[in-house]
Amino acid sequence: MSAGRIARWAFFWSICSSITGCNYAKLARPNVLGQLHPDLVGLVNFLPSIDHPNEATLGRLIGTGGLKEAERDSAGFMRVRVRIPRDQFIWRPSVVVMPESGVLELEFSNEDPVVHQAIVASEGTKQFLDILPRSRGVARIRLDQPGMYSFGCPVGNHAGRGMIGIIIVRGDTPDEARLDRPPMPRP
Amino acid sequence: MSSRSLSIGFTGLLLACASGYQEYPVLTQSEPLTARDARIPRTAPAVAAGVTPERLVRARSEPQNWLTYYGAYDAQRFSTLSQINVENVSRLRPAWTFQHPIISLVASLATYGFEAAPIVVDGVMYVSGFDGYVWALDAASGKLLWQYQHSIPVDVALCCGNINRGVAVAQGKVYLATLNAHLVALDARTGTKVWEQTFGDMRAGESATLAPLVVKDLVVVGASGAEYGVRGHLDAFDAATGVRRWRLYTVPKAGEPGSETWPGGNAWATGGGAVWITGSYDPELDLMYWGTGNPGPVFHGEPRAGSNLYTNSVIAVDPDDGKIRWHYQFTPHDVWDYDGVNEMILFERDGRKLLAHFDKNGFFFLLDRTDGSLVRATPFGRVDWGRIDDSTGAVTVLRTPTPEGSQICPGPAGAKEWSHAAFSRQTGLFYVPVVEACANFRTDPAPFKEGMTYLGGRADVAGNPQIGFLKAFDPATGREVWSWRSEHPMVGSVLTTAGGLVITGAPTGELLAFDARDGRLLWRYQTGSGIHGNPITYSVNGTQYIAVPSGWGGWVKGFAPELLGASRGSALFAFSLP
Repeated sequence: MSAGRIARWAFFWSICSSITGCNYAKLARPNVLGQLHPDLVGLVNFLPSIDHPNEATLGRLIGTGGLKEAERDSAGFMRVRVRIPRDQFIWRPSVVVMPESGVLELEFSNEDPVVHQAIVASEGTKQFLDILPRSRGVARIRLDQPGMYSFGCPVGNHAGRGMIGIIIVRGDTPDEARLDRPPMPRP
Repeated sequence: MSSRSLSIGFTGLLLACASGYQEYPVLTQSEPLTARDARIPRTAPAVAAGVTPERLVRARSEPQNWLTYYGAYDAQRFSTLSQINVENVSRLRPAWTFQHPIISLVASLATYGFEAAPIVVDGVMYVSGFDGYVWALDAASGKLLWQYQHSIPVDVALCCGNINRGVAVAQGKVYLATLNAHLVALDARTGTKVWEQTFGDMRAGESATLAPLVVKDLVVVGASGAEYGVRGHLDAFDAATGVRRWRLYTVPKAGEPGSETWPGGNAWATGGGAVWITGSYDPELDLMYWGTGNPGPVFHGEPRAGSNLYTNSVIAVDPDDGKIRWHYQFTPHDVWDYDGVNEMILFERDGRKLLAHFDKNGFFFLLDRTDGSLVRATPFGRVDWGRIDDSTGAVTVLRTPTPEGSQICPGPAGAKEWSHAAFSRQTGLFYVPVVEACANFRTDPAPFKEGMTYLGGRADVAGNPQIGFLKAFDPATGREVWSWRSEHPMVGSVLTTAGGLVITGAPTGELLAFDARDGRLLWRYQTGSGIHGNPITYSVNGTQYIAVPSGWGGWVKGFAPELLGASRGSALFAFSLP
């Protein structure tokens, strides 16, 4: 990069940084880039397509651990791996996407030196899991309908401190249950 | 910067951010939360298998049971049990209490109220709670036999609260209408799901809170959502297989009968008329009577000029084909949120088949239920929105919402909320929970957007006095026989028995027993949270019980904002004599 280009870039940067609307440009700072997690980038890319009425819930309360889409294994099960990073009271990812309804295996890996638990929405009854320090635990759940469901850690107030997560089951209401009317404006 | 150095930097960034997932040993597997409750046998006696359509028709001949939402198809909420009576009710005491904690993102943030009516079949009780829960209990001991939880999405659109009004039980199955507008059939013995059908569009603002109605081989349900400008409907499914039989829209399309009561354009498509309270059924006439909710937008009538059929109406529906045989509209062109959904009580007088209905609009309607002709309409609460001619039913509107705000009675929850009246076959009187809370009604039009509230204004009860009554009415004259005044609106359903009792609950938590003849208060018990549900009665092994859900919540803002912060709860009490 030539000295002239660096000067032009620095000039642009200083102007831009003084304007509130240029917070987006500030994302390019090295100390911000250093914190960007692929799952969080996934969340930011994903939200605009689904979050219109719910952006307060998803984007601000629950989204801090990022988003990951469950993957199908050879047996046809949907699986996702969730980290519990040390000293953070967070699920990473905290938003898990099931591409369709069905059975999902959540594998939790606990890097914390304390016991966590997971209570996860599931058809018929919630599923309960102990997750011991420096171990993995597997929760198998079934969600039959599209929508957003919650999971959380019931130990102490870990949920209140951030260990609340959301499982998004993609899909929509079947045609025969929809209202017979012309297409209507959406928000 | 070269493209090569860019890609190196990008790869480095990716590496720095890689997940670092630790492959620790897998030590634990999940299990159902119910498996951590050592009390639960997870099986109930197979009593529900014998609940045939014929038994449902003759439900009142089994006073030991409470077989349907209202106890019987006629919605009288009257029991012939008399072990607990005016002489001994003062000795009534709790036999057991069932409680369940609330672990839920939805229930903790949305307004939960325990509004159900338990069903009792030969010693087993089936009751629904918040967030998709259904419990089977031993009706004599309160012991939990099984528990089911439908997974309710946290992003359901709710009109008012995270509530459910109860299940239906027949032919070995328990039917639940869920908040996300699914109909679920459970095995009544084990509480496991047999089939599930979707009957509403959650993303269009539909939900469900009512108890399903089983009629013949059908399960019939309606969806809530008039506040979101849905097009109301009633859906019927085969009770055994779940196969869809019919759907009846309560708002006609252009060209269909009733469409002349809507303006041109698409006003019908957002016309409301949601069916959110269980209907009644006359097996002789083979007609179901369902009430329909408010039109959309709720408070702003301009986009929907006309009387807006079949909103705020009773529709008499043939269960076999889902067609409307007749209708009667209680509030034409409603702009006050006076849904016509309240119970349709079926009774006979002087050999005439009648239907009694205490509407949110403050009038007590008596109809001939063979053809829907009006017998009489008389006010039962404080009313100044309009007048209804007592013999012709002609409506004169006096006050409507305005942009500046207009004081109108009753408020948006009505002179009576959805909570049900009762009819005593012993005294021949109706007993009605009454709300007296006027409101300031404003129009504030906004364009329709699917899945968003479509109110066109608002009604504020706060700042107005909010009181209530339990009132007795004589259907022969339409006149009040006695009245008991409450400091707060009365929003619990009423139960009446051959023991000469009228039983209901107060929003402050007391279960109350009155003398049916004169309204004398005979007994009260503080349950710890407001009563906004359905007391019922039944007996097991010769002991009569009165059961009531206690748990304050629901759309409190609409009828008692001064009790918005009152103690919440989730307890089912059963009372008996010592």
